Amino acid sequence: MRIPAVSHAQEPGSSTFRPQLTSLVDVMTILLVFLIKSFSVEGNLVTPSPDLELPVSTSEKPPRPTCSIEITRNAVVADGNVLAALESFADADSLLIPTLYDWMRVEREKCDDTAKAPEVMIQTDKEVEFNIVKRVMYSCSRAGFADFTVLTFEEE
Amino acid sequence: MTPLSFTRERSPSEAAEAADIDVTPVMNMFIILIPFLVSMAVFTHLAIIEFSLPPNVGTGLDASSGKPKLKLTVVVAPDYLAITHGERMLDSLGLVAGRYDVDGMAARLRAHREDVEIKDEVILAVRDRITFKHVVRIMDACRALGFPKIGLSSATDESRREL
Repeated sequence: MRIPAVSHAQEPGSSTFRPQLTSLVDVMTILLVFLIKSFSVEGNLVTPSPDLELPVSTSEKPPRPTCSIEITRNAVVADGNVLAALESFADADSLLIPTLYDWMRVEREKCDDTAKAPEVMIQTDKEVEFNIVKRVMYSCSRAGFADFTVLTFEEE
Repeated sequence: MTPLSFTRERSPSEAAEAADIDVTPVMNMFIILIPFLVSMAVFTHLAIIEFSLPPNVGTGLDASSGKPKLKLTVVVAPDYLAITHGERMLDSLGLVAGRYDVDGMAARLRAHREDVEIKDEVILAVRDRITFKHVVRIMDACRALGFPKIGLSSATDESRREL
């Protein structure tokens, strides 16, 4: 026994099925407006590490590509390499983090070769204490970096 | 005598059907456009704050003494904010409801700025146990006041010094 398909959109006497697309077009239009609003031509030049939660700032200055150091809640990381665990230097007498210093020396030489500005972008978790950031800054400055930027989420 | 019209009037539903447009091409366009826009969408906007180590925040030297010129300094301690100029303490603000009184600090800093020579530079001297989100908040307040050059340094912990 054949059960005929019942549809409000089907014309009486017509065998072609015409789905009602109006509501779908409405959804698509709203989606399109939202996506155009959040469209960015250049995209994100910097991708923050998923291991840290960046602080929120009112700054609107966009990030630029430069040497980057990530300070998570457990370690100092550069280019995916764990350079030092926070416990290993947090209470040390010396402010210098040797592994970070060695890494930054190499990065500094690269800056000389490419004429890139010797600047370090620090990506730090918002709950990290200044004691840690201070040691990272000191190690970078000993390696020849004097200017810093800190990556933040832009406040809405 | 008017001629009789035998044309049948359209019912409202028939008129609606006649105006029905074919949305299939629009849907096709949406299906192409939406994945493209999703791939290019930025849902979280990132920003940077520039700062330097204090010796690089301007290199002005006092002509008479040859020493670096004094700059306004905001000391960020666990339980207060202080504004100093050299060794002179200008203001001190305690916590308000457990939070830093950043607005109060901004108002005092604006007032003291008129009395100092270097008006575009400020130094943040931060104690060790301060979490970085507070530092960023105070940096924001300083930038909003018109201090484009911010120096970040470590403040001596007086309680530790005594030990």
